[in-house]
Amino acid sequence: MRETFFIRTVVVLACVCLCEANAGADDLSYNRDIRPILSDKCFFCHGPDENKREAELRLDVEESAVEDVIVPGNPEESALIARITSGDVEERMPPPDSGKQLSGQEIKLLTRWVRDGAKYQPYWAYERPEKHPLPPIPSAMREWPKNWIDRFIADRLHHDRLHHESLSPRSQADPATLIRRLSFDLTGLPPTVEAVKAYQLDPSEENYEQYVDRLLSSDRFGERMAVYWLDLVRFADTVGYHGDQDHNITPYRDYVIDSFNDNLPFNQFTREQLAGDLLPNSTIDQKVATGYNRMLQTSHEGGVQVKEYQAIYMADRVRNLSSVWMGATMGCCQCHDHKYDPYSTRDFYSMGAFFADVDELQHFKVGSNGLPTKRPPEISVLSKRDRLRLGAVEANILKLLADLGDKAPAENADAKLPMAAGSGDSKLAELQRLREEKKRIEASKRLTMVTQAIEPRVIRLLPRGNWLDDSGTVVLPQLPKFLNSGKSSTTDNRLSRLDLANWLTDPSDGIGGLTARVQVNRFWYLLFGTGISKSLDDFGGQGESPMHPELLDNLAVQFIEGGWNVKQMIRTIVMSRTYQQSSEWTEELLKKDPYNQLFARQSRFRLPAEMIRDQTLAISGLLVLDYGGPSIKPYQPSGYYRHLNFPKREYKPAEDAGQWRRGIYMHWQRQFLHPMLKATDAPSREECTAERPRSNTPLAALVLLNDPTFVEAARVFAEHVLLQPNLNESQRVTKVFEETLFRAPDKREREVVQTLLQKQRKLYANNPEHAEKLTRIGLTKRSETLDVQELAVWTVLARAIFNLNETITRR
Amino acid sequence: MRRGVDAMINHTRREFLNTTASGIGMAALGSMLTHDGLFSRATGAEQTVGPSAAVNPLAARPAHFEAKAKACIFIFMAGAPSHLDLFDPKPVLKERHGQPLPESMLKDVRFAFIKKDKALLQGSPFKFTKHGECGMELSELLPHLGGVSDELLLVRSLHTDQFNHHPGQLMMQCGRGTFGLPTMGSWLTYGLGSVSKNLPGYVVLTSGRGSSGGATLWQSGFLSSTYAGVLFRNRGEPVLNLANPQGIPVELQREGLDVLRHTNQQRYAEVHDPEIAARIASYELAYRMQTAAPELTDLSGESQATHEAYGLDRPEPKDLNGRGKQGDTYKSFARNCLLARRMVERGVRFVNIVYASWDHHSNIPKELPYNAGCVDRPIAALIRDLKARGLLDSTMVVWGSEFGRTPLGENRNGKREVGSGRDHHPYSFSMVMAGGGLKGGQVYGATDEIGWNAAENRVHVNDLHATMLHQFGLNHLKLTARYQGRDFRLTDVGGNVIPQWIA
Repeated sequence: MRETFFIRTVVVLACVCLCEANAGADDLSYNRDIRPILSDKCFFCHGPDENKREAELRLDVEESAVEDVIVPGNPEESALIARITSGDVEERMPPPDSGKQLSGQEIKLLTRWVRDGAKYQPYWAYERPEKHPLPPIPSAMREWPKNWIDRFIADRLHHDRLHHESLSPRSQADPATLIRRLSFDLTGLPPTVEAVKAYQLDPSEENYEQYVDRLLSSDRFGERMAVYWLDLVRFADTVGYHGDQDHNITPYRDYVIDSFNDNLPFNQFTREQLAGDLLPNSTIDQKVATGYNRMLQTSHEGGVQVKEYQAIYMADRVRNLSSVWMGATMGCCQCHDHKYDPYSTRDFYSMGAFFADVDELQHFKVGSNGLPTKRPPEISVLSKRDRLRLGAVEANILKLLADLGDKAPAENADAKLPMAAGSGDSKLAELQRLREEKKRIEASKRLTMVTQAIEPRVIRLLPRGNWLDDSGTVVLPQLPKFLNSGKSSTTDNRLSRLDLANWLTDPSDGIGGLTARVQVNRFWYLLFGTGISKSLDDFGGQGESPMHPELLDNLAVQFIEGGWNVKQMIRTIVMSRTYQQSSEWTEELLKKDPYNQLFARQSRFRLPAEMIRDQTLAISGLLVLDYGGPSIKPYQPSGYYRHLNFPKREYKPAEDAGQWRRGIYMHWQRQFLHPMLKATDAPSREECTAERPRSNTPLAALVLLNDPTFVEAARVFAEHVLLQPNLNESQRVTKVFEETLFRAPDKREREVVQTLLQKQRKLYANNPEHAEKLTRIGLTKRSETLDVQELAVWTVLARAIFNLNETITRR
Repeated sequence: MRRGVDAMINHTRREFLNTTASGIGMAALGSMLTHDGLFSRATGAEQTVGPSAAVNPLAARPAHFEAKAKACIFIFMAGAPSHLDLFDPKPVLKERHGQPLPESMLKDVRFAFIKKDKALLQGSPFKFTKHGECGMELSELLPHLGGVSDELLLVRSLHTDQFNHHPGQLMMQCGRGTFGLPTMGSWLTYGLGSVSKNLPGYVVLTSGRGSSGGATLWQSGFLSSTYAGVLFRNRGEPVLNLANPQGIPVELQREGLDVLRHTNQQRYAEVHDPEIAARIASYELAYRMQTAAPELTDLSGESQATHEAYGLDRPEPKDLNGRGKQGDTYKSFARNCLLARRMVERGVRFVNIVYASWDHHSNIPKELPYNAGCVDRPIAALIRDLKARGLLDSTMVVWGSEFGRTPLGENRNGKREVGSGRDHHPYSFSMVMAGGGLKGGQVYGATDEIGWNAAENRVHVNDLHATMLHQFGLNHLKLTARYQGRDFRLTDVGGNVIPQWIA
């Protein structure tokens, strides 16, 4: 049995490879092989945390370790090795009550490392990324590389350190798969059948490139990228705590989408969100951007202690900032120095002090149980596009007014003008139309939370995170000590949020190199389903070192040198051969690289929640591509908000085109996330989410089978297929497959589908009332020219095809 | 390990080849295939609990050591019932009714609403009587629980770190009062898997009005949603989207699923993506749930005696007004208790019954009897029923909330008067437990004479969780999951198993 062999191979090899992965037989690397062991098993008591350091021993610092317990080159003389191998339970490290244990393999590695001289290395993530020379192309792969990324991948595959033999990369993905992949990765939507066909006809490099550029310049690109960013910064429509009321923040979402579409440099994107209000003559967009500092969960629950919640908010901001930009887990330092990384508690509160000027006290008093609640300061804004449109409309109005002269009615005059009163009146009509448009645009103003700086409050270091304890020292805004090259606050000259933002993206006097690495690693993840370093949100000692450190460095350097150009970065990656490989496995690849760390193939994974929705709507033709604006509410099982109090509320699904808009615009209720989003692993956005889990639960199956959005889409798609003129049944089946999967069904699939159609016809012929009901689901009017039973039959088929693994998988 | 892996593979294969009958087995395989359909690195639980978790996160798997409990019914009284009026008789408090507290006691204390300079002590208006052979003293509001007192472990010395509802509720469910962490039920299914073939391993039932914490009280936090609680609703279809769309009767659903399965299977044979097998299984389990869930919630097969014992048909008391009164709260709570038993019988690992609200800032004499009356009889019936069916030894029943209520009367208006309600109180509260290998018929711990602080044998929420896990054969220090570089556990950085609780 092929499957059996296959599964056996995977499982056994997965286990074997796990053990081997870090135990290469050639030279050991401290960062790659040793530090992870020390970090996980030893640093807890012998690491950066000063208050928890046992026996005054630090193993994370070379001088301390060598002075105390390591004799380089001589494991027999080294107390470190003696203690970890001791037969005496009292002696042996780590002690049993630590819950930690070294494996035999780990002990061997440590011993070898000491024998080889116990060489330490500076921690990779905190070193400035440097541009590495491109490796030579292995002769066997002369033709393979397309761009410089491939040079690193090829080199590694050729000299595979793990297995002492070369691996071959996969061939180019077939054109349809490639175009579909690219389209999802860059826009979150499937391609059109025409786009796929065009590329199939001429799968040339030029055509591919043109298609890439078309996608990058589409509005859909910003929407796709924004979904990920909104996960990171925990964007949601509600406050999270207690009554989970709505708060005003959707203009921030528009800002993020616009920024990706306008290709706003990432360093500027950073500045505007953290400190847009502090920029000279800040624009409306820059003010909207500062909603970033306000998006955390807030509470006005009766009885909250202001001081406690101020401490909670501050900690939330430091956690998020450090995750989003620095790939750091600074949350650990709220109560104690970090156990694994050199961040101290003082660093934590000093970072918190950057936000001491955020005006937010008012909501404890004025926060209401209304929908939305009140979270001042808020400003009322138009979206960027509406502002532009309004400008154009106003200019046209002025022009018309000049043309019309005295004939122009006053703006507030009764709009009912005599419409059919001669030639000059076309201008009057135009004026009226423009004035109405102006009104319409102006009425679309929305409130949004922003940051306004006030006199900073006093921030104290809270001993063990206890907000009741006022004994801690007062701290000023300061950057983490070990990462900082000089800037610091003094009482007269306090660093600001703007200084912080600049520091984050400054490659020479700040940590721009780290920030760039963190971001490009995440772009890579979006395009490969896994990062170059797998820990997308932890570049600290407990994270995973990158498998291709030089590649990551060069990407980071290009990102910085290219002016933090996101589109360029993504373009570079998708133009590589590595990206364009097939995602199908070979047994060799499974054996040697089960986690695809070497990128000798592409990845396949279930689409994220929003893409599943968007794809279904797109295929059916229902998708409405309106851009930006307030959140929308698709169908949702009634009573789902029954548990929400303060106030009680009822979910009112959209009755207009909002019903079929993209997933990114869905109302994000933190406590009761829409069941479709929840079942397909979208996060509740309480904390920074850099990587969504991918689960397969029955609840997800039930959503995709039964949620009216999906049933309606199946019916509308069935109508579309049945309304095609002059097709026989077999051709219609082909159409279903082509428009969903960009391929024709094979013989076996045809048989299965034929059987289904026949059986369904019988069943619906016997139960016409069922056909009637099924085809009435959803707001979209049913086509009345089609036979209802036949429509029901094809709806059932479409529903099955929408649920195919192949349909909801990005390959 | 090798042997274990082979057994797993054979099991997997059997299930795959026989998908229509496959158990929850492969259902969540895919969640482990985190990146592109291959197995993720072992997490804390896999390392400590066994290799099978690497293939199927919900496969039942062995505990760290022999377990006494197999299932837990956690009855969560959201809003915080007054321990002083239900479980913890304080004659001295009664004597000092109407007196202020000495200033020294109030110095470092904060309240949600009480204006402390004017607040006065408030004795309980309710009588306490002794019950059972153990002589457990309980309030007159809990006569039925009194009837099973010899099964009960009453803990009077709990304390917590949080004193607002939502963080407090998170603390009780997650071991820490912050967002984004897995709840108790998630940890148990993560550690032990589930033996239920047709139902989720972690189910949530609710009565009364919504709680502050909402769905965060059954979230899986940073763990995969495989481990999140599934809400069984008491109105409408029992599980969201469970019912077929109108116009797709059961026989039609099967047809559509068959196409799905055939096509997916064929694809699987071609590309060998185990994710496909996992997806097939998840659809099959969904299909079985469509039958199993309505069967579960159909109580018509239960005897009249059972209906009566649980108080399934009780109307809402006309003369009592209480929080959470919604017209059918008495019935729905009783029903949830009976459903919990039926779920446990069907292999569900963790049932969380959430009942809100007990937030009696005022009107305790009138409102507390309503809430107590709602829960007293069904819970006692549940304990008796489990016992009669031989399930109590392996089923842990826990009655608890996020914190207690103040010995001071609430005077939100700032007046010097006793009032009729009590404010939030994290320094002491009571919980009741039964079954699951716990030693019943005992009162553990005590508060000081006015019920202010947990004074004797203090129990932190982390200790409670450590002991609960222990009964399930899990060492709370070893049941960990790595998130952002740290090994998290249900007991955060605390937790001591309490040997006196264990039978």
